[in-house]
Amino acid sequence: MKFGHEYETALANEGYPEQWVNSAIDYKHLKKCIKRVHRELESLGLDEHTLAAMNDLVAQPQTPKPTGIDPKDYFSASNPDLSPIQEEFTPQLKVLVDSKTGLALDARLAPETKASLQKLAKHEMVVEGRKKRLEQAKARQQQLQLPDTTDSVLDGSERKESLTPDVEDARWVYVPLASAQDFFEMLEPKLAELDALRDAETRNLEEKILDLGDLVEDVVQPVREGFEAKREISYRDLYFWREMFRLYLEKPIFYSEAEQKRGAITFDEARKNLENYDHTLRETGLLAKMKTPQAKAAAQQFLDLNLQILKVMHFQEMNARAMRKILKKFDKRTHLQGDQFAKNLIVKYPGIKSSKSGAGGFADSIGRDLQAEMGTKVLAIVPQLDDWICPVCCEMAWRPVNLGCCRAVLCIRCVIDLQSKNMKKCPMCNAETVMAANGKNLDMDTMEFLEIYFPMEVKKRQKENEKAQLARDYGEEFVKPGCTVM
Amino acid sequence: MSAPLPKRIIKETERLQSEPVPGISAQPHDDNARYFDVIVEGPGGSCYEGGVFQLELFLPDDYPMCPPRIRFLTRIYHPNIDRLGRICLDVLKNNWSPALQIRTILLSIQALLGAPNPEDPLNEAVAKQWKENQPEAIKTAREWTELYAKKK
Repeated sequence: MKFGHEYETALANEGYPEQWVNSAIDYKHLKKCIKRVHRELESLGLDEHTLAAMNDLVAQPQTPKPTGIDPKDYFSASNPDLSPIQEEFTPQLKVLVDSKTGLALDARLAPETKASLQKLAKHEMVVEGRKKRLEQAKARQQQLQLPDTTDSVLDGSERKESLTPDVEDARWVYVPLASAQDFFEMLEPKLAELDALRDAETRNLEEKILDLGDLVEDVVQPVREGFEAKREISYRDLYFWREMFRLYLEKPIFYSEAEQKRGAITFDEARKNLENYDHTLRETGLLAKMKTPQAKAAAQQFLDLNLQILKVMHFQEMNARAMRKILKKFDKRTHLQGDQFAKNLIVKYPGIKSSKSGAGGFADSIGRDLQAEMGTKVLAIVPQLDDWICPVCCEMAWRPVNLGCCRAVLCIRCVIDLQSKNMKKCPMCNAETVMAANGKNLDMDTMEFLEIYFPMEVKKRQKENEKAQLARDYGEEFVKPGCTVM
Repeated sequence: MSAPLPKRIIKETERLQSEPVPGISAQPHDDNARYFDVIVEGPGGSCYEGGVFQLELFLPDDYPMCPPRIRFLTRIYHPNIDRLGRICLDVLKNNWSPALQIRTILLSIQALLGAPNPEDPLNEAVAKQWKENQPEAIKTAREWTELYAKKK
């Protein structure tokens, strides 16, 4: 009741595009539909207790499925990828009206249920034109409590006529459930629509991310020496962008990559993360500090795009909740195994499978995919210092040395340190390459790259290196600040 | 006055706190940032499961050119750990690499608890028992864990 209301208001007031709202799960109608299913079942004399009892029986071992819904009626479990839900899909109740093993069940049914089932059975048999069987069935129903000896006699006669060899002395009556069919017909296409919507929105946002990438690249790409500056750029902007993206990476908004709680983030958390991020940007004044108008516009676009991702996520998460709730309600009210249907849907739309921590539904994959997209297409344009640090001293690898054994880049000072301590093995791959390293091992490409993208850090490291060199050559005292009497 | 703390140690400490490894914690002392109180939980499925082991860890001046010094403070029945809590582990000795960190070393120690290696013993008596009567040794290890490594 509460959720239904909350859901309707959210759909109406959050300002979603009309197309989205049309694809949303129709919670209200589905609820009404459940009521109809409930009524229909009751009119058959199958109240919830009876159905629950029947389902319990199915669950019991060694009871050869006397009743209940065979999941195969919904969907072919053996080849789910081909056509999980056929056109003529009809939910049915399959009831076994007579058999040796069905005795216990029959005895438990309420008299009116039995009567209506028998009526149904009769009707079907007449239609099929097999009156003989009907008499048999009747006869056996009257002999419900007869001992085994008569059963064996019956078995003999039954076998002669049995059409289905695997259910030897049983007979299935099919009870079509029109209103339950309505329910699933209403729900299933919605899911297809939501899936399509997710695809479309993801593609749409991915394109926007690509555009943003171009924009950012245009703003921050440093001008190399010898090239003419085509635009107004500021190398300070590069640092602002780097800080902006570093903060963004530090606390992922939509999908957590942390060791301990990996996985999708719920919408509420994601919104909080984005709010915090926005807050930090304002507090540090990063946006205001941007020099060029293009840079400001790009930054604004970056934030807007994040908001849009959040919106898609919210919409899908709400729908996922609506679906979970409505299926739960369906099960509770009708005791028909709707969860089986849900499981089948998950096979068909793997995207809706909800993780433990995540937002559930399609929202999870949206968060994950778009965040990854953002990472590779936009954030990667501005290199982060963390990707260029020496694994030994954890500072920027300046001047970068590649030992030639693996791809690791160390800073020259650490290599000299390793050599002076006679540590022969590469810290990363254990190959004995350290002692052979010399000026030729300087990685000139990386050096050029670092000079362009990290001019400030390079200068700082340069100074430190010079100091360390002096200390090595003339002793620690030489580099100490202030005057020293030597 | 001691030399300023290298950036590497600062970074490692920060990350140990902001992104702790499951089942492991390392807290630096206020008065000496090179000295850590370490807690390692016995790995699940091992005979140390449920145990909470205290260790001390010290980063020498040469770190990361030399390995950190680590010692168990909690008593433990293990073929590669002696009565003084010293640990026989290759990465703490010859196989140390400056690219290893406090977190990776502590993970190695946790793994050592999950896979005792009596072929390379530090505690001869325990190793002998481990080789000759493993069920008995494992039983003793469980008892010691119960006795010394339970949270109070």
